[in-house]
Amino acid sequence: MALQDFLDQLDELGTAAETAFGDAADTVALEAARVTFLGAKKGQLKSIQQQMGSIERADKPTAGKAFNATKGRIETAFEAAQQRSNNTDSDSTASIQFDASLPGTTFRCGNVHPITQTIEELKDIMGRLGFSIVDGPEIEDDWHNFVALNIPDDHPARDPLENFYLATADAISGDKNPVGLLLRSQTSTVQIRVMEKTAPPIRIISLGRVYRPDTADATHYPMFHQIEGLMIDTDVSMADLKSVLRLFATSYLGDDVTIRFRPSFFPFTEPSVEADYYWNGQWVEFGGAGMVDPNVLKAVGYDPEEVTGFAFGLGVERLCMRRHGVTDIREFYKNDVRFLAQF
Amino acid sequence: MLVSWDWLKQYVALDMDREELENRLAMSGLNHEGSEPVGSDIAIDLEVTSNRPDCLGHIGVAREIAVLYNQTLKLPNPQPAASGPDVNTDFSVSITAPELCPRYTARIIRGVTIKDSPTWIQDQLRTVFLPSNRDWKPINNVADITNYVLMEAGQPLHAFDLGKLAGAQIIVRAAEQGEKFTAIDHREYELQSEMCVIADGDKSLAIAGVMGGAETEVGEQTVDVLIESADFTALSIRATSRALNLHSPSSYRFERALDPAGVDWASQRCCELILEHCGGTLDAGVIEAGKSTWHTEPVVLRLSQIERILGIKIDTAEIRAILIALGNSESASTAESITVIPPSWRRDLTRECDLLEEIARIHGYERIPEDVGVPMAASFRSDEDRVAEVIRTTLTATGFDESLTGSVVPLAWTNQFTPWATTTPLRTISPMLQGADALRTSLTPSLLEVRRINQSLANPAIELFETAKVYLPQAEGLPEEQKTVGLTSSGDFYHLKGVIEALLAKLKITTPLSVADAGEQFDGLLDNQQRCTLLLGDKPLGFLGQISKPGLKAFSLKTAAMVAELKMDLLVDLAALIPQHEDLSAFPAISRDLNVVLPESIRWDQLQATVKQAAGEALEVVGYQETYRAPDQDGANTKRVLFNIKFRRADATMTGEEADAIRDTIVQAIAANHNGKLLGV
Repeated sequence: MALQDFLDQLDELGTAAETAFGDAADTVALEAARVTFLGAKKGQLKSIQQQMGSIERADKPTAGKAFNATKGRIETAFEAAQQRSNNTDSDSTASIQFDASLPGTTFRCGNVHPITQTIEELKDIMGRLGFSIVDGPEIEDDWHNFVALNIPDDHPARDPLENFYLATADAISGDKNPVGLLLRSQTSTVQIRVMEKTAPPIRIISLGRVYRPDTADATHYPMFHQIEGLMIDTDVSMADLKSVLRLFATSYLGDDVTIRFRPSFFPFTEPSVEADYYWNGQWVEFGGAGMVDPNVLKAVGYDPEEVTGFAFGLGVERLCMRRHGVTDIREFYKNDVRFLAQF
Repeated sequence: MLVSWDWLKQYVALDMDREELENRLAMSGLNHEGSEPVGSDIAIDLEVTSNRPDCLGHIGVAREIAVLYNQTLKLPNPQPAASGPDVNTDFSVSITAPELCPRYTARIIRGVTIKDSPTWIQDQLRTVFLPSNRDWKPINNVADITNYVLMEAGQPLHAFDLGKLAGAQIIVRAAEQGEKFTAIDHREYELQSEMCVIADGDKSLAIAGVMGGAETEVGEQTVDVLIESADFTALSIRATSRALNLHSPSSYRFERALDPAGVDWASQRCCELILEHCGGTLDAGVIEAGKSTWHTEPVVLRLSQIERILGIKIDTAEIRAILIALGNSESASTAESITVIPPSWRRDLTRECDLLEEIARIHGYERIPEDVGVPMAASFRSDEDRVAEVIRTTLTATGFDESLTGSVVPLAWTNQFTPWATTTPLRTISPMLQGADALRTSLTPSLLEVRRINQSLANPAIELFETAKVYLPQAEGLPEEQKTVGLTSSGDFYHLKGVIEALLAKLKITTPLSVADAGEQFDGLLDNQQRCTLLLGDKPLGFLGQISKPGLKAFSLKTAAMVAELKMDLLVDLAALIPQHEDLSAFPAISRDLNVVLPESIRWDQLQATVKQAAGEALEVVGYQETYRAPDQDGANTKRVLFNIKFRRADATMTGEEADAIRDTIVQAIAANHNGKLLGV
């Protein structure tokens, strides 16, 4: 670039800046002008400085001096304008009114899924009651999903139509697949895995996805979430079961909740319990529970004469739907961001 | 199970308030699901758990009421008068499939008059059938009586028109594969060889335990009837009724373990009522084939177990009274234990814990305290749980919504994209949702589908993440279930990379993040250029990339989408969940801007490494600012990289001269390593 061109540009810039700063009517306009001319990244002064690289070496000292002079000139004009603005700017005299009612700069925050929020709350409550969280596989074998849970061969729960069994090698050409595996139909499988590896006492909750071939409709989805608790010790009784579930229900539903415990049936507990809470004039099932069946204790190598325990399980979706007034379970898995933003 | 209030009155005095009774039943194991008036009667809906088939008849429910209210149970004692010849003389029954039907009995009544059944039978049946079938109508006296006994005792029966049976015999056999059969509902069913049928000399008469046939049903012309009362294998009935999608009150009961003594009782009860209301004469005796395989064993209840398991003391007298009232007979007892033989209708009572439940539910669960002091215990949060929480808080703060999507996806999705494994995905035998039978090996396709759904709703911001498992088949044993964080954004490559960097920073992961070329398994779905694998140190963390044009098309996406997946285990391993304090320098930092011209091929990570090495330990930050290109001035295949370096000394304020000196060293290193130069020099 020729030196003269550069000097001309500097001069033009200086004049333009002085005009702009002189015309700035308020702090907003002044700031805009400052960014235009003195902005650190994209200001015009900055960009003209970058052109100095292309000046002939011999001309560089002259160009440098001229640049510094222009820089001083613009800065002086800015400071003068700033001074004037400080002295005169006020709401009553500014020609442009500051509008505090304009919306703030949009800042988008995401949302945690309502199912996760429910799970976290349940985990939190159970944590306070001394239950630690354990995790286990979703793909399970016959032993952990059925046999060890006292579900005999001829039990309807084992029906292929009631479970998502995995296809075997015969069904899929190519790779060999493990035989007899299924997507777990309940999180109780994790209890078996924990008891097989750990000596009593035990106080755990397991939670996560479970799978049952229900046709998807407003209240059913073939994949849902369960939370299950297990407490095993030398003398755990049904009074402990009821007391823990009472604390749990009170913590989650509020201290004015009315709950009841009534007999039920599950293969892995005996006696078995269904807990209900009273809501809008009717009893609503809260969760199933019971004293761990001696056959389950034996299956994991415990002596039912030495230890006893209780287990309970809750469906997360059902609690979440009731709590937040969600009427269609499928909404949880559609992930419409407007739906997610409601929680 | 719907029970009739009027009907129950035959067996037990219902002098209590109905609502109180309903509540009491719910609290003792028969959950009350509702009541509704039918005519002048009330239908009470009770939920009967699968272990209590004895309560699938009015007598069973009445027995529960009698036990709860300490009342006498009045049961019919059927003794039908047999004035005909011995039934076995010219009719026979044989079972050729004992694994499907262990026991079959038949009685024959000749010369019945078919007409409407008595009003009281019609009324009571109406109460229990009408609420679930608004089209229900009584049939005729014989058919209504078999249904009446079914609903009274829980034992299904069937009446055949004897005149339409060929060969004076009943054969209980397995169906022929593909055999066609027209049932009473006048629909044709195709049978399979695992199913059990009742046949005569030449044809099938009924799908055993599920539904009778149209051809031999009792109608106006019927004169002689054969009453079937049998025991069919529960598993077989369940499989048959599911396979045919044919469910009846009979099949519902046979699917459970019925009272073996009920077979003959119900047969006699039915014959007694037919003789009374339809006339005719009963052939003497019963035709029997097979025998019940069930026998009751004594069960010992140790009294010490009451307090151990139930947590309360109950008087021995009450314990004994409850067990006896439920129909158990006491066989032997000591001061410490009671031994009982359970009644034939309670096949669920085989163990001590079964008796404990009986005592608890009759005594009342509500009498067990719910305010005992459960000992306190420490609970622990796993590292994974803590990391998951940091992921959620960071990603929602950076504008991402958490989504939850199905674990089982269409096979096409797993074939399309295999970032974590190249093995064939696991499949479920039946699809979870339409067309979805492959266990996903990546979260990306699911997230793209969610993008599509949101796009179709014209939702402006689609920023999503999910923390879920992908299922990676292994050569042996259970598949690996890899916890994975999936992300998708409308922002550009560097936006999503910045989000990942922010996440790593929040997890206090100091192991450096680096990138490597993404291999061919990313072809197709990801753009050829804008993609990379991510590493923490030398360990693979995941990948990041832009969806290719064909990828967008495959998921019907109209606008650009960026995706990433991260392996959660590695984040858990490297996260510093208990960060440690380090002393901070008390002196100010000093910074220098550098604008260097570099060959196009030099990557930022190479430049950064050079800067770090040259700068020494006073270097605090190398901050990238921007890249731009001025080929006219700098020559072809060059770029200008503007960045900032910040220095700070631990022991003194760094002077401008010191900073300049380090900058000069850096500039020399850039020149030497990368053939780069400071702009303007």
